[in-house]
Amino acid sequence: MAEQAIKIDGVTKRYGEFVAVDDVNLEINKGEFFSLLGPSGCGKTTTLRMLAGFEVPTEGRILLEGEPVEKVPPHKRNVNMVFQSYALFEHLDVEGNVAFGLKRKKTPKAEIQTRVADALELVDLSSRAKSRAGELSGGQRQRVALARALVNRPQVLLLDEPLGALDLKLRRQMQIELKQIQREVGITFVYVTHDQEEALSMSDRIAVMSDGRVVQCGAPEEIYEHPSEEFVAGFIGISNLLQGKAEGQGRVRVGGNSLPVPDLPSDFRTGDPVQIAVRPEKVAVDEIGNDNEKIQPGMFTVDGEIESMVYLGVGNQLTLKLASGGRLVALEQATYRVQSDDQWQVGQQVRVGWHPEHCMVLS
Amino acid sequence: MKSGSAFDKPRFLRVFTGLVYVFLFVPILVVIVFSFNSQKSLQVMDGISLRWYEDFFNDSTLRESLFISIEIALITMVVATVVGTALAIGLVRSRSRMAKGSNLLMLVPLVTPEIVAGISALLIFSQLGIGLSFWTIVLAHITFSISYVTIVVRGRLATIGIEIEDAARDLGASRLESVRLVLVPALWPAVVAAGLLVFALSFDDFVLSFFTTGEQSQPLPVRIWSMIRFGVSPTINAIGTLMMVVSISAVALAVMIPRFFGRRESGVKVLTGAEG
Amino acid sequence: MNAHRFWNWFLAPGTLWILVLFAAPLLLIFALSFGHVDDFGRGVYGFKLGNYDDVFNSTYLPVLLRSVGYALATMLICLAIGYPVAYYIARFGGRWRYVLLAALVIPFFVNYLVRTYAWVALLADEGLVNNAIVDLGLSDAPVQMINTPWAVIGGLVYGYIIFMILPLYGSIERMDQSVVEAGKDLYGSPLQTFIHVTIPATQAGILAGCVLVFLPSVGDFVSAQLLGGPDTYMVGNLIQDQFFAASNWPFGAALTMIMMLFLSVWMVLYLRRAAKGEAEVL
Repeated sequence: MAEQAIKIDGVTKRYGEFVAVDDVNLEINKGEFFSLLGPSGCGKTTTLRMLAGFEVPTEGRILLEGEPVEKVPPHKRNVNMVFQSYALFEHLDVEGNVAFGLKRKKTPKAEIQTRVADALELVDLSSRAKSRAGELSGGQRQRVALARALVNRPQVLLLDEPLGALDLKLRRQMQIELKQIQREVGITFVYVTHDQEEALSMSDRIAVMSDGRVVQCGAPEEIYEHPSEEFVAGFIGISNLLQGKAEGQGRVRVGGNSLPVPDLPSDFRTGDPVQIAVRPEKVAVDEIGNDNEKIQPGMFTVDGEIESMVYLGVGNQLTLKLASGGRLVALEQATYRVQSDDQWQVGQQVRVGWHPEHCMVLS
Repeated sequence: MKSGSAFDKPRFLRVFTGLVYVFLFVPILVVIVFSFNSQKSLQVMDGISLRWYEDFFNDSTLRESLFISIEIALITMVVATVVGTALAIGLVRSRSRMAKGSNLLMLVPLVTPEIVAGISALLIFSQLGIGLSFWTIVLAHITFSISYVTIVVRGRLATIGIEIEDAARDLGASRLESVRLVLVPALWPAVVAAGLLVFALSFDDFVLSFFTTGEQSQPLPVRIWSMIRFGVSPTINAIGTLMMVVSISAVALAVMIPRFFGRRESGVKVLTGAEG
Repeated sequence: MNAHRFWNWFLAPGTLWILVLFAAPLLLIFALSFGHVDDFGRGVYGFKLGNYDDVFNSTYLPVLLRSVGYALATMLICLAIGYPVAYYIARFGGRWRYVLLAALVIPFFVNYLVRTYAWVALLADEGLVNNAIVDLGLSDAPVQMINTPWAVIGGLVYGYIIFMILPLYGSIERMDQSVVEAGKDLYGSPLQTFIHVTIPATQAGILAGCVLVFLPSVGDFVSAQLLGGPDTYMVGNLIQDQFFAASNWPFGAALTMIMMLFLSVWMVLYLRRAAKGEAEVL
């Protein structure tokens, strides 16, 4: 059992009538890269600000390595934060920014010097130590913010959408660097983001939040492959949502079809409404009668018609109208059908299939 | 005159604007030019001399008034800047009911005619049994200056998010330290500009001083008032020119200060609250 | 809550200061306006309406109305002069914009008394303007300019026009130029566009400028004293007389209250918008 860095125990935050965070329970392990993921207004930033000490929970407790801290003011907590806007101190140079926290703690001068130098080296900014914050590029400012927080060797580092202000290319680069730095320093990261790809690629575990509640918490693969409810399935990637009724023996009736759903929990009784989801990239599309090429043995298949097609670069997104009624979205990798004469035509009759185990049951 | 089409034609507007600037500057140029006149005449320039400046500096009461005006303006500047900056910070950061009340209260002096402010000050001092003196002038000047400082500083504060204070607190600074170490340095250009603006306003103020000045310690504008009522004298031109130099230096500094701090924005912007 | 108490400490000194030295004395003026003068010539608080009767008698009422009339004229002239100037600087000022603005502000920082006094020197019967008029043969004798209503109003315009131009500049500068382009499409003529698009879009600046010019103009006594005569006295002169020469403070207080009554609609209108951050403040 890994050591616990943070325990959030029944935390609720209300502003008057408005419930920003609603009975959140989370345990975050030491050294973990933990993400809070959700759309804006879901309570993820409020949760982070309660960890930092800027907000006091209305109810519940926050334990930092076993110590209750929910009432401790931010300057007395051994956690540090990287802000969305970086919040650099413009009147100080890079060194001054990074040394700020150590000076507050009355660290000896010599130690401040070495630690600041180390931190700047860690983020590859040693050459800009004397620059003013205003002279730095967006990426460099981001690194200063990171060094300024890490230099204090916090028990936990909180990051509030730290890459939100960067352009796409720089974002990707910083994602890799952040992850590397986290491995190097071994500090627990709590990372707030609304970008599902970012959360999936960087995190050890993710908590998906919606309307102030944690709707699912788990490893990235788990969240992606087994979303617990419609919101998660919809927020993380696109999903085909199908409404059906349980038929017993691991089958669900959707429209005129009986679908095999091996994951269907046994507590669903015949006639119970069931919601299932299929990821578009798991849906195979092929010409009718051309079996065994993309439609593989063991797949569940239905027939349909191509209703529309969008070229996405990496592939095609097909919207299919099923013969039994209803629609599905399929994502086809560009490795197929590269020749233009081999393209799908809108209106073409096709066979659609997927492996039953890719059917996800949502609660 | 003000036809719509004229507003699309910079040429008309340029001429019109030029005339307005002439209107604004002619009286001032007259004051400056005739302050160097060797004769008493205000119609004919006779030759250049500094005799009216000599008159001014040889008059000990006028000299004293100049220093009184400067002292009042300096004290007003320091106190109003501190109190007004604190008020601006409180207004932007606090969400209490008190902040809403203060916000409205702070604006009232700006829209009240100065004569009313003068009478207010006169009445409260007489009610409290405080004799009119140097300090009653200072108190009255600080009152209206606080609002000016608050407006200027608040304008700058609006462009600074709360995140830098949060960051400072996150890094181990208490609330008060975060204000002192991070927020005030960030506000500094506006604070200095506001202070200099208030210096100039206080130095030039006549109406408030008029109502709160006793027998002693008369600031320069109050002296000018009695001089003008005795008749036109070229010494007034010299005083006016000197005062102009003092206030415009203060304002020029206020405009330039933000640049000294390496900010890209212009000081005019800080002072007028205009957005670029 | 903790944060509340902390920030209230910042509010307290300034709020208290303005409360004690500004707001509370306004109530004193109100109270004193019902008082009378005792045998020693001192103001005594009381509950009489006599002072208000006096305000509305035939001697003083015209002065009050004249003040409001002068102030309105000042306001309209400032608007008519200020709008084109603000428009020119904001739209066509280019990189000279801040220089032009600074040049506007400079005269404002020349002492108001000295500026008004300069006008006395210019407009007097023997003044520079009259000399020029006679020399150019435009008139045989000097034209009476000083001691006229227009001299007083001119002095007020000169004194307060900056309060009109700065807010106007702010709102014109902020106005989205594409709205004007769209207006030209919709209304066609530039005049129509100006009336239906530009003026409404800069309404906040117009309101602020008008209020900021009107309010101090009503209470002004310097311009009327120096550029006018007994026929052009304004309420400010009357009030000032009561507190100095005549030494009838209660009557002066009543005059002040009536003046404030005239102004209160404007003040409230402006304060409500300014408090919400909608109006240009200065």
